[in-house]
Amino acid sequence: MRVLVVEDEKKTASFIRRALSAEGFAADVCCNGDDALVAASITPFDALVLDIMLPGRDGLSVLRRLREQKITTPVLLLSARGHVNERIDGLNAGADDYLPKPFVLAELIARVRALGRRNHESKSASLRVADLTLDTVTRQARRRDAVFELTAREYRLLEFLMRSAGRICGRMAILEKVWDYNFDPGTNLVDVYIMRLREKIDARFEPRLLHTVRNIGYVLKEQP
Amino acid sequence: MTIRTRLTLWYAGILFFSLLLITGLSYHKFHQRPEEGIDSDEDFQEVAGIVVWCGVPAALLGLIGGWWLMRKALAPVTALTEATELIHEHNLQKQLPRTFSGDELDRLTEVFNAMTARLDNSFQRIREFTLHASHELKTPLTVLHGQLETALRDETCIPEQRELMFSQLEEVQRLTRIVDGLTLLAKADSGQIVLSKTPVRFDELVREAYADALVLAQPQQIRVTLNKLDKATVLGDRDRLRQLLLNLTDNAIKYNQPGGQVTFDLCTEEKYAQLVIANAGAGIAPELLPRVFDPFFRGDTAHNSGTEGCGLGLSIARWIVTAHGGDIRIASVLEKQTVVAIHLPRHLSHN
Repeated sequence: MRVLVVEDEKKTASFIRRALSAEGFAADVCCNGDDALVAASITPFDALVLDIMLPGRDGLSVLRRLREQKITTPVLLLSARGHVNERIDGLNAGADDYLPKPFVLAELIARVRALGRRNHESKSASLRVADLTLDTVTRQARRRDAVFELTAREYRLLEFLMRSAGRICGRMAILEKVWDYNFDPGTNLVDVYIMRLREKIDARFEPRLLHTVRNIGYVLKEQP
Repeated sequence: MTIRTRLTLWYAGILFFSLLLITGLSYHKFHQRPEEGIDSDEDFQEVAGIVVWCGVPAALLGLIGGWWLMRKALAPVTALTEATELIHEHNLQKQLPRTFSGDELDRLTEVFNAMTARLDNSFQRIREFTLHASHELKTPLTVLHGQLETALRDETCIPEQRELMFSQLEEVQRLTRIVDGLTLLAKADSGQIVLSKTPVRFDELVREAYADALVLAQPQQIRVTLNKLDKATVLGDRDRLRQLLLNLTDNAIKYNQPGGQVTFDLCTEEKYAQLVIANAGAGIAPELLPRVFDPFFRGDTAHNSGTEGCGLGLSIARWIVTAHGGDIRIASVLEKQTVVAIHLPRHLSHN
């Protein structure tokens, strides 16, 4: 997967590029809007990480121009302001996702990966990770012979984790996708729900599937 | 005693004193000419009679006239006082009306207006400073967080180094929450946040907060009860109201005690919806209560050393409530319980 990172702050651009490379992406960096527009018009990238605040042409304007040119590369917007209105403006301008600064790197990677997969993802009625299955119609989880009843919130949490199986889900991503909170409420809500979910689906079974990535978030996968 | 009463009394006093003086002088005059064979005492009594019969009503008239005169003279001061009373930190740019008569009071108004303009300027600067500062802090925080995460990916680090980096990561996250909270408050203070208000079923949000509270309370064995849940619709920003409720719920559990309790009560009055969240716990000392909504206020840290937050939760809660035209109050009994009550105006549909 080839990703273009558009970020004028050199240190930020550098660690994003390194992290993406380490995850097996091919990452290119542009540090201003005009270069980004040219690069994205010529090269078919799989995803764009676009900072809003850029010298010269800003991120939103780059995005609008790309969409006018019918270039549909998925775009993840980065912004230091993190304002709700800005988020709406960004999504209206044609962005596929939005991440306020400061962000968690693992979160950025997970989102970029999700952007790349967006079109290939199947919305099947049943999700499976190892011997854990989740029926999205009856909203029941099963592991071997055990059937678990889930509350609405637990279901959404498990569904999100299973759809992102193998990828780290940052606390913010979980809060956003499961609770619709786009701010960090500074509570341990996510951790407590994960603990409950773990008691239900993981505690009595081997191997453990729900792993903690300390200070970052959680991941659902077979190997530790 | 008001200036008006004081001046009126002085006025009447001087009038009365002048009358006494006139009486005294005439007495003296009559007693100087006894050789003319006139019965000066009789004459004097006549004069004294006139003085008493005319003087007392004159003094009374002076009292009433003085009272009226003073009111007229002090009216601009009263007007100035009333106008000044309406000034607070958010409408400092408002100027007091001037008469342009060039008198002392007009001059006072002019000077006062210049002073509020200077104050407004410095308030504005403080707000802008906070906003810029919190904004500028975000880039270095992003870099710090990203670099720490990158470093933690290196499997060859020794455990001590990893431990150190995890702890740094935690601090960076705490700083991030503080900066986010500050940005929000600074923006709210300068009126940059526009709430998108729609009719919201407040009772549904409270039920959701209650459900979250049940889960959050579990590790500490805290009992959560929903006593009353009247149906209530408010005109508000759904996201902000959820933030408010989560904030209060989280506090009610954080500052609780193991085996304690939390209760939710949502009642509706004619025009208001009232939500009361009560929790057991150490409580807040009465002298500290007025300050709990101040940014970075910390209660008795000895009791809550294990709990951490950004210290801005209640300030944000108060902003959300006031931005919805409501009010928030807090009461506490030490070592027993804390009660937070919020009032929000109900949205009453016309049909």
